[in-house]
Amino acid sequence: MVTGQGRIRQAVRVWLPVGFFLVVALFPFYWMAITSIKPNAELYNRNVMPLIVHAPTLKHYVDLLTQSSFLLWTWNTMLVAVVATAISLILGTMLAYPLARMRFAGASLITMTIAAIYLVPQPLLFIPLADVINRLNLGNTLTSVILTYPTMLVPFCAWLLLGYFKTVPKELEEAARIDGASRLQTMWTIFLPLCTPGFISAGIFAFTLSQNEFLYALIFLTKSSVRTVPVGVIAELIRGDVFYWGQLMAGALLGSIPVALIYSFFVEHYVAGLTAGSVKA
Amino acid sequence: MTEPGTHHPTTRRGFLKLAAAGTAAAMSRPQPAGAAEKTITILHESSFIKPFDEYVMNTLSPAYEKATGIKVNYEVTSVGSLPTRISTIAETGSGADITMNGLLQVIQFSNKYLDVGDIADDVGKAQGGWYDAGREAVVVEGKWKAIPFANIGQLMNWRTDWFAEVGVKKFPETWDELYEVGKKLKAKDHPFGFELGHGFGDNHGWLYPLLWSYGGAEVAADGKTVTIDSDETARAVDFCRKLFKDTMLDDALGWTDVSNNKAWMAEQISCTNNAESILWFAKREFPEIGKVTDQAMNPAGPKGRFHLLNSISHSIFSFSPVREEARTFMRWLMEPKQLGGWYAIADSYYQPLLHGYDSAPMWTVEPRNLPYRDALANAHLPGWPAPASRQLAESVAKYVVIDMFAKACAGASTKDVIKDAAAQLKDIYRSA
Amino acid sequence: MTIASERLPVLAQAARRRVPLSVVLDRQSVFSWLMMALPLAFLAALVGYPFFYGILLSLEDRPVAHTGTFVGLKNFVTDAHDPIFWRAAINTFVYTGVATLLKMVGGLGLALAMNQHFRMKNLVRALLLLPFIVPTVLSTVAWLWMLDPAFSVVNRLLVTLGWPKPGPSWLGDPTLAMVSIIIINTWRGLPFYGITLLAGLQTVPAELYEAASIDGAGGWARFRFITLPLLRPIILIVTLFSVIFTFADFQLVYVLTHGGPANATQLFATYAFDIAMGAGQLGLGASVALAMLPALALLIVALTIYLRRE
Repeated sequence: MVTGQGRIRQAVRVWLPVGFFLVVALFPFYWMAITSIKPNAELYNRNVMPLIVHAPTLKHYVDLLTQSSFLLWTWNTMLVAVVATAISLILGTMLAYPLARMRFAGASLITMTIAAIYLVPQPLLFIPLADVINRLNLGNTLTSVILTYPTMLVPFCAWLLLGYFKTVPKELEEAARIDGASRLQTMWTIFLPLCTPGFISAGIFAFTLSQNEFLYALIFLTKSSVRTVPVGVIAELIRGDVFYWGQLMAGALLGSIPVALIYSFFVEHYVAGLTAGSVKA
Repeated sequence: MTEPGTHHPTTRRGFLKLAAAGTAAAMSRPQPAGAAEKTITILHESSFIKPFDEYVMNTLSPAYEKATGIKVNYEVTSVGSLPTRISTIAETGSGADITMNGLLQVIQFSNKYLDVGDIADDVGKAQGGWYDAGREAVVVEGKWKAIPFANIGQLMNWRTDWFAEVGVKKFPETWDELYEVGKKLKAKDHPFGFELGHGFGDNHGWLYPLLWSYGGAEVAADGKTVTIDSDETARAVDFCRKLFKDTMLDDALGWTDVSNNKAWMAEQISCTNNAESILWFAKREFPEIGKVTDQAMNPAGPKGRFHLLNSISHSIFSFSPVREEARTFMRWLMEPKQLGGWYAIADSYYQPLLHGYDSAPMWTVEPRNLPYRDALANAHLPGWPAPASRQLAESVAKYVVIDMFAKACAGASTKDVIKDAAAQLKDIYRSA
Repeated sequence: MTIASERLPVLAQAARRRVPLSVVLDRQSVFSWLMMALPLAFLAALVGYPFFYGILLSLEDRPVAHTGTFVGLKNFVTDAHDPIFWRAAINTFVYTGVATLLKMVGGLGLALAMNQHFRMKNLVRALLLLPFIVPTVLSTVAWLWMLDPAFSVVNRLLVTLGWPKPGPSWLGDPTLAMVSIIIINTWRGLPFYGITLLAGLQTVPAELYEAASIDGAGGWARFRFITLPLLRPIILIVTLFSVIFTFADFQLVYVLTHGGPANATQLFATYAFDIAMGAGQLGLGASVALAMLPALALLIVALTIYLRRE
């Protein structure tokens, strides 16, 4: 029965907890936004109510875009994310397909190895990896991060894709094999086209992870022209001991928007990716 | 190690080359020219004062090229990235010919730097002699591994208006006097705020001098004997705790370098230790605050008055293919005409380490910066009186002295914090 | 018919008749290993090699720009004597443990709250994931400003309620600093937990709940005996990820406190960074980083055993 009281009770039951989580999740972004449009005088003023802006200004955004290499950093970040994601999807597929579809000696060993690679987080590898990058003379090149990001993305993609691949029905592939197609042909022409949702899921996950990377970028990329947004914002909008707070917040907000936008188009896939491995594995 | 100009074996895949081509500007460092035109690449940390960097790019480089035909390529890296950058260059053997050094780099990379004692000697003789502080920062195992350039000093910043409210017109001479003023000011809601957290400058700027002014020291002059466990250190620690509890904002315990700048502009604090950035920023953005901001030398303790040496210098990489040209360039750069012009552009932000500049006109531009010059006489590297060493670098990186004071302020006993610091230093200096 | 996995050695086959390459390549084992060759080589080169090289480094005295000298376990002995090392170890465990617990409980709460029907649910779900999507260092910078007592809204509130001015020092007090990083980490990771658990919740067949209700089970009992057991595998997987990420966390602390005040927030990753990049001691830094490995392995094994208990 849907009485007036029932409806109110239902709304409370939904919106009280959900609203709470929403406020908590989004408040820092609100803070970023209003700080980025406050003039310095207001920014540093302790006595003013900080939650509203009295004299909004776009100066920080203008300064950010004209006085720093922010746009270049954004380009670098996108480029690195796209290429690293592409590499990771390809390599991840090459790992996941045999594990999902073939029976062969050593399969479980490989699966365990991939899982073990999760145990090797970046802070464990960054010192020897810095050495390797130096010796390959890749310091301060985008190649250094394009090559190293997949080290954390490939295991992810392999695992996500593995979970997804297992859910694809085998009939079409079996039919193709009966018709005489080789395994390679089957995989390439029949199987993979069916997996677009899986690729989008894994891809968007890898993309957002790549945007978030900081440690390798901090160490390998010290020239402003090759920096990504996270490093650029932290390293260059802080000149010595002066934080250009307005620009920092503007940079933080602008740096978050592309990721958030792209991901918002693919939320379904993102969530499917998150869960594909866990629920259906 | 690879020489600049050679192609290293390709380990990249085809499509990466595509990506590389697509972002040519962002990719590998510029290939130095062949036999025809020589280039000297200088690496510098981005200056706080923009015109300083521009002076090299727009005035000095073209002048040198006109005179000698050699191109001078001035590269800046963001503040804080210099050590990482030099690491890469030192490890790969290419990327720059001359580099700027901060506090610790001469020590860490001395084996990759040329001995430039001859240049330094000549420069010193010609321009009034070097400050001891200059020598202290660049001499490693008896050899000059860099030519001192300048000090970026740290001074006491104080609010003249608030100090006047409690009857103080001149900045206190001793730590005890400062303490008394601080108590009064805290009662008036204008507390002090000195950094005690894990920053890189504003903590060292007062804590090492505090330690020295009471007669304490990490290590003896022999560079081996750990001497931190002493009555003098204990007195310094006790004073620091007192100063924190009775005059400062609680938050200062976790402050990093930016915090006191922020607090100053927000008018939260009446006194702190900082480089010129507070005055510079206030004058530009908050002129009203700038008018009542002044700078003074660190107060004196029972055993004297001290300041932190935060010198920058220039070194030539020993593997540089143009090292002879680099030497000649450095000589030219350190001539009064070039050097003086370069210093002057930055308004005494860089304090020259040559006595020849003690009465230079740059000091009259902003009289409040004069104490920077006077502080040079008693400025020292962390780890003083021991000479520069890699153990010093480890002690700084592990915040041994900083944490000793910070833990005491947070409530630990003096005995315990000194015991901990002594144990840490003994471990670090075991290999000395 | 699929080509069954052959048992005949290739040689014997060849002896009888020439086997076309295409047939050989189509054997499951051959195909699989060839297909995996490239990614495995990639991982071996960029994960395996650095991993073992890192172990070698940890056994060397290797100052930056110098060649390394083998010193055996000396670095680990130094670490064992280093009070900061132990502080970092304790911090990392506490940080990981508390944050993971909070994320798990909070995530479950979020999932339950979201497991209802309402309009704009998809938009809400997208918005809720933002903390996890946005680059950590950028959101942490916002928190840096928010946690300054002079500007913090929370402090303002507390001061109005009677707390002595200027309110708690979130980044200055050692205990509060640890609380702060736990809070921010939870803020960031809770959506990951929540949305994943939500998806899991949605796969629980409604009939089970109905049957239980008919049998007289109340809300709590239904939760305990139906929901939780079915969610176990997901909780395990998500927790595993979360633990690894949090244990190796670097960005948050680097931006917020750089390990301070007085190492109250120093973690393995940040300490290794300070030693390697700050002091230039690559071997010693590698030894601190490697110390994460046994701890991580232990955590994961313990978790897996606990959650697999049936």
